[in-house]
Order: sequence, then structure tokens, then C-alpha cells
Amino acid sequence: MSDFSSLAELVINGNYNGAKDLTQKLIDSGADPIEIINQGLMAGMDVVGVRFKAGDMFVPEVMMSARAMSTGIELLKPLIADSDMPSAGKVLIGTVKGDLHDIGKKLVVMMLESAGFDVVDLGVDIDPDAFVNAVKEHSPQVIGLSALLTTTMLSMKDTIEALKEEGLRDKVKVIIGGAPISQSFADEIGADGYASDAGTATELCRNLIA
Amino acid sequence: MRKIRSNSIEQTTPFLRWVSEGQIEEIHFATLEVLERTGVVVDHPEALQLLKDAGCIVNEHRVRIPSWLVEECLRLAPRKIVVANRKGQRVMPLEKNRTYFGTGSDLPFTVDLETGKRRRSTKRDVELACRVMDYLPNYDFVMSYAIASDTSSKVSDLHQLEAMVTNTVKPMIVTAHDEINMRAQLEMAALVAGGREELRKNPFMILYSEPISPLTHTNDGVGKMFACFEYGVPVVYTPGILSGATTPVTKAGTIVLMNAEALAGVVMAQLKQKGAPIIIGGGATPMDMRTTATLYGSPETMMNYAIMTQLSQFYGIPNFTEAGCVNAPIPDAQAGMEAGNGILMAQLMGANLVHDVGYLEGGKTGSLTFLTMCNDYIDNARYMGRGTRIDEETMAVDVIDEVGPGGNYVSHEHTYKNFREEIWTSKQFNTSFWEVWEEQGSKSMEARAEELAKHIVATHNSELLDDTIQQGLNEIIAETDQKKASTRRKNKEA
Repeated sequence: MSDFSSLAELVINGNYNGAKDLTQKLIDSGADPIEIINQGLMAGMDVVGVRFKAGDMFVPEVMMSARAMSTGIELLKPLIADSDMPSAGKVLIGTVKGDLHDIGKKLVVMMLESAGFDVVDLGVDIDPDAFVNAVKEHSPQVIGLSALLTTTMLSMKDTIEALKEEGLRDKVKVIIGGAPISQSFADEIGADGYASDAGTATELCRNLIA
Repeated sequence: MRKIRSNSIEQTTPFLRWVSEGQIEEIHFATLEVLERTGVVVDHPEALQLLKDAGCIVNEHRVRIPSWLVEECLRLAPRKIVVANRKGQRVMPLEKNRTYFGTGSDLPFTVDLETGKRRRSTKRDVELACRVMDYLPNYDFVMSYAIASDTSSKVSDLHQLEAMVTNTVKPMIVTAHDEINMRAQLEMAALVAGGREELRKNPFMILYSEPISPLTHTNDGVGKMFACFEYGVPVVYTPGILSGATTPVTKAGTIVLMNAEALAGVVMAQLKQKGAPIIIGGGATPMDMRTTATLYGSPETMMNYAIMTQLSQFYGIPNFTEAGCVNAPIPDAQAGMEAGNGILMAQLMGANLVHDVGYLEGGKTGSLTFLTMCNDYIDNARYMGRGTRIDEETMAVDVIDEVGPGGNYVSHEHTYKNFREEIWTSKQFNTSFWEVWEEQGSKSMEARAEELAKHIVATHNSELLDDTIQQGLNEIIAETDQKKASTRRKNKEA
């Protein structure tokens, strides 16, 4: 087995110590850092994604695989220019104004990161202006809005309106999620997409960016 | 005089305990350790001050609560909370081992009874669910069931209360957006009860408020609770969690964390007002590690509720738990198993307020058909809960002698006298022979329940509210709606 496929295997198994050691070994032996990511770490995560979707892997296992990948990436980061860093895309995410619920959004963040996205998590209770400012600062391709409460759902609409007012709406795709959200609500407020769970959200981001 | 046997102990009902008293104490001490060592976050200024004054270690919003204070507050919390119906009759005493069933609140989606299609819930769904539960005898209290999502979102909770109080006389548990709306609802309740004093004497309403796991007590959550205590209205203060996401994945760890959140609530409640009527418990649901869905009808939840019920009995504080809420998206065989298990467990454990009955799809979708089916599940569980009567009459030795070998009992008076008590008869379960079942249209239990639900909706109305009260409720809703609109404008301008 090549060192790259061994590295992928370590990621699949969630063996973060092993992944760290092998990444270091590959660096020391002069392998191309970008190849280590693409053919080793990310190749492993791709398999994880497929298995998760098929129901053969479980969330905590995906989390451990993502941890294995990121321990490797931490070692490689200093060796790669920011602009060359492989990324599936940049996503800005937050729970909307008035809502303090965190876990659904956190799951989405972790699943996105494990799929190679660069994620900026603004946290909870984020008002429309804060979203607007963050879009200006980070220039994401996708912005994700989360709400658990039916009362805060409307803040999603306010946020989309605020993006329009600032002329940013065309520059970014808006996706929404949370227990009371549905596709029809997404259509109603003019969002670009809705996802029912973290796995679907990852796919949605891939499709919107592609 | 009847001659009795000496040293006789009768067990009139089954006796279910999940863990030993010693294990319950172990969980209690672990909970005290969490509150004293890790502490909680409190975002309510008055509560924060009360905790500080009572001897907690407070760093900004982080509060570490000493064990002695928790135990003192546990002693102050009432062991008995009596809840009345809309007419002021004290029908629901929350005492150890008295079990009551009702639905939950705020389902975003409903399967339409007429079209069979799933759609967003409306105020009409709240009204219909309350009418159905007003009619069905095994529902002891109601919650909104659906979200009134076709009303002004600023006051949709007030609309839900209006729909509930006009469509059932049964006790009710409400939810509120924030403290302002809670106070409006308390005024609505006072109007219905015939004044604040009457409401305080015989509260027919309970608030359901939540901490957010892990260990966070929000300004709104605590504010709503405190407002209710000012009116003498009881409060359910319990978290809804996801094991393996917002709590440890282990069942015991989940219970310890949730208990810590509930007991922090008890402390705040008793510091606010000695004897404040608080109810503990919560929704101890694991996360499905394949789909991230919340597992409501799973075996773990029922195992958790068994221990949490024991804990509340150990503390002598009424509890709020959950059963009859399933992950099946339709009322199928899976739904029956999930609901039946939980309902039976809750009944046998002697849990107090068992909510969320009749929920589909992990607490996202409502169905009046399923709600109607669950009435029979509860009936079945209550029947088992009543236990087996053992005495001369039921052991029937005289009758056995009279009938003798080779005789029959079906025509005996003993059978005639006892069969209704001794054999449970379901309203909706199919028990016919195949041919008869075919003749009667080959209907599933679901189809029969759907017919009953339609019949109730078409024919049953609860006792009407007085016109002036109805008008007063609408006025409070309109005022609150306006008040909120102007606050929103002000915030926007600021």
C-alpha cells in the first residue's frame, strides 16, 4: 500500500495520532504538501462522506476522521501558501437573531469542515447587520442561517433583506435550516436552498458552489 | 366480622423501579458535584443577583451553586401542586405516582385530516386538537399540539392559548415567546379564571420553559418562569436535549446533566419565591448517529425517563416527562410499538405529566388520527397499571367448585358480574374474526381512528366561554401585537 493510501486509511479509521505521524513522515521524505492533502487526507475524507451517506458510518466516527484530517492539515498549513490551500469553498454560518440554539448549526459546521469547506461560524443570536458585515469581511460563497424557534424564523427573512439592501445578495448563496424550516418556507423568503440535516447541507453547498 | 390473614401485604398495582435508592443517591451526588464544580450560566440579572446573595460563587454569568443551597431549595419546593381545569375544579393533583397524559406543543407540520397531506400547522389545527382531546377521556391535559403559524408571529403563542382555552376545559400547559408574551398570557388566564386571585387559588395553566443544554439559563427562559410565580402559576422548567450532542452520550451522564439543569431551576425558583411551584424532568432523547435526528420513541428515552421519574420521587417534586411521541412518520406498526412502550412505562413508573403524546416524525408532525389512536394505547396502559385484583371473589374457588370439571363459565353469573372489569375492551383495536372484519370494510386501526377523529371534529364542541371573556382575550392579543410592532420599529430606528 502506498503511503498516501495508508494515510487515507488512517483518516477513515479516525486514527489521528497515526495520521499525524504519517503526515510528518511524508513531509520529512519530501512529498508534495498539496498531494499529501489531496491524495491522502482528503481522499480518506471522501470515502468517509460516501460511507456516512450510505449509513455505514456514524456521526462520531465522521468527527474522529475529521479530527485525523485536521491534525494532518495543521502540520501542512505552514508549508503551503494560503492561496494554494485546497478548499471546497467558503461558508459563513450562524444562528439568527433571537435564537440561542447552537447544536444543529454546529453539526453542520463540523460536517462541512470534514468535507473540506472553509467555515466561519459566527455563533448564535446573530442580527442581520452582523451577517452583512461578516459577508463583507470574509466574502463567502455560501451563507447558512439556522433557527430552531418558529419566532426567529422571520429573522431569516430580515437577514436576506439586509443583504439585498447592501447589494450583497447576488454575491452569495443563502441556505437555511432548522426544525421548523421547510422547502416552501425557503422559497417564500427567497433563500437559495434548504437542507433538512447536516449531511444534506454539505451536499447542498457543493451543488451551489459547483 | 371478616376473618383476615395475618402478616398480609397487598400489592394493588404493579411496582416498577428501574434502579435502587442507592443508585438514585449516586446520581444526586454527581449532580451536586456538577453544580458546585462546573456550575451553570445564568443570563437573567435578577436571578444572578439572587444566586449571589444566597451564597453562590458568581463570576460574570457563571454561577457555582453550593450543595447545601441546592438541598435547602429542594426542601422548599412543593411536593404537591394542584392544577385545576378551566372551571376551577381541582382535577389534576400532581403528587407522587399520579400519572396524567397530554400532548406536546408547537408542531411545525400537520397531516391534514381531510386531505391526508402534510402541510404547515395553523391555528385551526390547535383548535381541532384541543377539541379532540377535550372529547377523548384519556387525555388529562392539553398543550397546543400545533403552531398557529398563520397568525402574527409576534403573538402566535397568544393565539395558541386563545385556541386552547376556547376549545377545551381541560388543564393546559403553554409555551411563550418571551416574558412580555408570558405576562399577556397570564392576564388572559386571569380573565378566564375570573381574576388574578381565582387564578392563584386554582391555576388551570402551567408554563413550559426551558434551559438550553448544556447548563445555560437564558434571560427569556428564567424571565418567563419568574413572571408565572408572581401569578401563582406552576412552571415546568426542563431541558430538551440530544444525548451525544448536547449531553454526554451515556444515559447516566445525560441524566446527571439534565438533573443539574433542572435543579439549578429549582434553586432560582425557590430564591425568587419560597414554595414556588416548579416541576422538573425533561426530554432525554439521544441523537441518531446515522441521521442526526432526535430519537423520541427509542428504548433509551424510556429508560432515561424511568430513572428521572424515580429521581423526582426521591426529591418529592412533581415531574414532566414524555411518551407516545414517535419517530415513525406515519401511524404504522413502528409508531404503535414506540408509543405503546413509552406510555406503559410512564404509567407503571408513576410519572406525573406525560406530554408529547400523539407526535409523529420525531416531534415535527402532528396527526389527529394518531392522537386518537394513542387514546386507546393510554387506556390499555392504565388498565395494566390498575393491577390484578386478588381476593375471594376474583380467585373464584366457589365458582370453580360450582361449575365443576367439564362445565362452562360463559353463562355463569360470576362472569356476567366481572367480565367488564376483568377483560379490557378497546374502542379502536381490531379484534373481529377475519370474515367479519372484511364485511365491515377491512379497516385498519388507523382508518378506524381517522373516522373517530372526523366524527369528533364534526360533532364535539367544548363548553363555550362567555362572550365578554372571548372579547377580552382578543383585545389582549391585539394590544400585545401592537406593543411588539412598535418596539420592533423603535429597535430598528435605534
